Amino acid sequence: MRNSPTARRRSPLARTRRLVAGAAVLSLGALTACGDGGGDDVTTLEVWIMEGTNPDAGPYAEELEAAFTERTGARLDVQFIQWADAHDRFTTAIAGGELPDVAEIGTTWAPEFGAAGALTDLAGNIEADGLGDDLVPGLYEAATVDGAVYGMPWYAGVRALMYRADVFAEHGLEPPTTWDELRDVALRLADLEPDMIPFPVIGGSEYGVDPFIWGAGGEIAERTGDGEWRSVINSPEAVAGIEFYTSLATEDGLSVSAAETWLETDQLESFQNGDAAMIISGNWTVNTLLADDPGWADRIGVVPIPGPDGGYSPSFVGGSLLGEFTSDEPELAWELIRMMTTGEHAAAWAEQSGYFPGQQSLLEEVQAANDPLVAPFAEQMLEAGTGLPVTELYGQIQGEQVVQGMLQSILAGDQSVREAADEAAAAMDETFGG
Amino acid sequence: MAADPAKLPARATAPARRAARTRALRPWLLLAPALLVLAVLLFWPLVRVVTLSFQDYGLRELNTGATDYTGLDNYREILGDSFLWRQVLPNTVLFAGTCVVLTLVVGTLVALLLQRLGRTWRLICSSVIMTAWAMPAVTGTYVWIWIFDPLDGVVSGGLDGAGLIEPRETNWFTDRWSFYAIATLNVVHHGFPFVAITVYAALLTIPRELPEAALMDGAGAWQRFWRITVPTIRPVFLIVVILSTIWDFKVFAQVYLMPGGSGSNPDVLNLGVWSYVESFRRNDYGMGSAVAVLLTLLLLAVTVVYVKVLSRERDEL
Repeated sequence: MRNSPTARRRSPLARTRRLVAGAAVLSLGALTACGDGGGDDVTTLEVWIMEGTNPDAGPYAEELEAAFTERTGARLDVQFIQWADAHDRFTTAIAGGELPDVAEIGTTWAPEFGAAGALTDLAGNIEADGLGDDLVPGLYEAATVDGAVYGMPWYAGVRALMYRADVFAEHGLEPPTTWDELRDVALRLADLEPDMIPFPVIGGSEYGVDPFIWGAGGEIAERTGDGEWRSVINSPEAVAGIEFYTSLATEDGLSVSAAETWLETDQLESFQNGDAAMIISGNWTVNTLLADDPGWADRIGVVPIPGPDGGYSPSFVGGSLLGEFTSDEPELAWELIRMMTTGEHAAAWAEQSGYFPGQQSLLEEVQAANDPLVAPFAEQMLEAGTGLPVTELYGQIQGEQVVQGMLQSILAGDQSVREAADEAAAAMDETFGG
Repeated sequence: MAADPAKLPARATAPARRAARTRALRPWLLLAPALLVLAVLLFWPLVRVVTLSFQDYGLRELNTGATDYTGLDNYREILGDSFLWRQVLPNTVLFAGTCVVLTLVVGTLVALLLQRLGRTWRLICSSVIMTAWAMPAVTGTYVWIWIFDPLDGVVSGGLDGAGLIEPRETNWFTDRWSFYAIATLNVVHHGFPFVAITVYAALLTIPRELPEAALMDGAGAWQRFWRITVPTIRPVFLIVVILSTIWDFKVFAQVYLMPGGSGSNPDVLNLGVWSYVESFRRNDYGMGSAVAVLLTLLLLAVTVVYVKVLSRERDEL
C-alpha cells in the first residue's frame, strides 16, 4: 500500500528520463558519426587536381605519388575536382577550413584567393631555388600581386585562329594575316559555302573580343598612379576593336543570331558539326577534336590571330598554377609543387594534356618540334600572349559577366558599340572603386 | 511544532503540478529530435543569412572569420538601385504571377478532363502528366532550350519550314519577353501536373447530387463550374495557389541555365539568380544575403495574405 503513490508518481518521471536518455543517445550517435577516423603516422599531403584537362590523369597521379613517396617518405592523397564545381568547392572549403595542402588553381583565382589570405606567398621559395627566370611570363605575372606570388605556373593555354584547312584548300583561300583579310576571306566563304557560318561572333565569352581590343591598341583596364584600377574599355582604341569584331556579325552577317548567346563550347560544337569555318579557339580544343575523330588532323589549320595591319593580335594566356593553401607542411608542399612544375613531371603532364608547360625552356622545346597543330599556338603565346588585369576585383567583374553583357547588347542591336562600352566601363569602375 | 497552514496546500499540489508539467513537456520531448534537425538545417542558416546581410562579407571574411557590420548599407544599395525596380523585381513578380495563373488554369482544365475520362484513358493521361512532373528541373530546362534552339531547334525548324522566320537571324534568348515566355512554358509544364492531381482529388469529394440537381434546374456547364465546383473545393485551390506562388517566386535553375540567364544578360535576372550572382560569382556574400532576405520577406508577405484569406474561408465554412 505504501508503494502505490510513489510508484504512480515515479512512473511518468521514469518515462521522461528514458526519453531524455534516448534523445541523448540519438544525438551522440549523430555526433560521433561526424568525427573522423584519423590516426595515421605517415604525413599525407592532400592535393586537388582539376579533372578534364588531362584526358586520363589517373596514371600520371599514380606515378607522381610513387615518386613523391620515394623522395620524401610522405604520402599523397590526390583528389580530382571538376572544373565546373572547383570554384564553389574552394569557397566552401575556405568557409569550412578544409582546404587541401596543394591545389591546382585557375590563373584568375590566384589574386582572389590570395587577397582572401588563403594562399601562401611562394616568392621566397621561387627565388631561393632560382626558378623565376625560366617561368612563362604571362602565367608568372598572373600569379603575382604586389610582389607576392600566389602560385607556381604549371601549364598554360592560349587561343588562336582555327580554320577549316580542307575548305580553305578546296576554294584556294589563304588564312588571313590582317583584319581586312579576315573580313574578306569570311565574306568569300559566305558566298562559296552559304550553309556554313564563316566566323561566329559569340556573346557568351569574353575571350573572342579581347584579342581585338588588344590588337587595336586598347586595354580592358589600367592601373592609375595610386595603384587603383580604372576601366578603359570605352577608350577610342578599345571601341575600334569591339566595333570591328561585332561588325563582322552586325554589318557583314558573317555570324548567326544564335551565336549571340553562345559559349565557347557551343562555338566548338558548331565547328565540330561542320558549320563554323573559322573560330577563335584554344590549343586544348585540338585534342578534343582529335579524340572525337583522328581525321580532324587534316581538316584543321591554325594561325595566330592577325593584327589590324599585319603582325599578331595579343591573346589571353590562361592556365593553371599550383598554389599552397597555408599547409601545415610548407616544405613538403613546396617540394611537391617544384616536382610537378619543373622537369620530367611537368613535361609529362604537358605532353599528355596537350597544354603548354609553364617553364620557358620546356615551351621552347615544344615550339622547336614544329607540329603544325601546336607550333602556331606556341607562336601566339610567345610572341603575342598577354594577361587580364591581375586583381581580385577583375575576378568579380568576370563573375558578373560585364564584357559578355556588353557584347550581347551590341549583337542584339539594343545598344551602339559606344553606349555599350560606356556602360561596361561604368559597371567595371563601380567594382574597381568600391 | 505547528504546521504552517499556508504551506500545506502547496505541498499537496506539488506532485500534481509536476505531473502536469511532465504532461506538457512530453510532446516537446518527442518532437525534440525533429526540432533539433530543423534548427540545425533550417533555422541556423536563416539566422546566418540575416546576420550576413548586415555585413560587408567577402572571401577574406570567409577565410578569417572576421566580421564587418555595415548596418543597412546592403539594403540601402539594393533598394536604391533602379536595376531592382526596373528589371529584377518586375521579372520576378510578373513571371511568378503569370506562371501561377497559367499553372492553375491548365492544371484545373486537366483535372476536369481526368474526371470525365474513362478508367483506361484516365490512367494513361495521369501517367503521362506525372512524367512531366517527375522530370528534374535541370533536364526539363535543357529540353526546352533544345526545343527553342535558334539554329537547330524543333520550333525554329518548323517556323523556317513555314517560311515565317530566318533561323540564322533569330535568337529568342536575348529578348526579355521571349526569354521569359520560354521560361514560363517550362515552369508551367513542370508545375501543372501537381495542380491537376490535387484538384482532381478534390473534385472526387464533391457529392454527385449537387451538379445533378443543378443540371435538373437547367444550369449550364459554366454555371455549374463557378457556382458548385469552385466554391466547394475553394480551400484546395487556395493551398495550390500558395504552394505554386512560393515555387514560382524562387525559380532558379529554369532561368539560370537558359542561354544568357546566368548573368550575361542582366535584363533577364530574377531575385534568385541575382542573389546567386552577387554571392557566388562576385563573392559578395553580404549583398547576396540581403537579396535573399528580400525574396524571403516578399514570399512571407504573399503567404501571410493567403493564409489570412484561407483561415477566413474556413471560419465561413
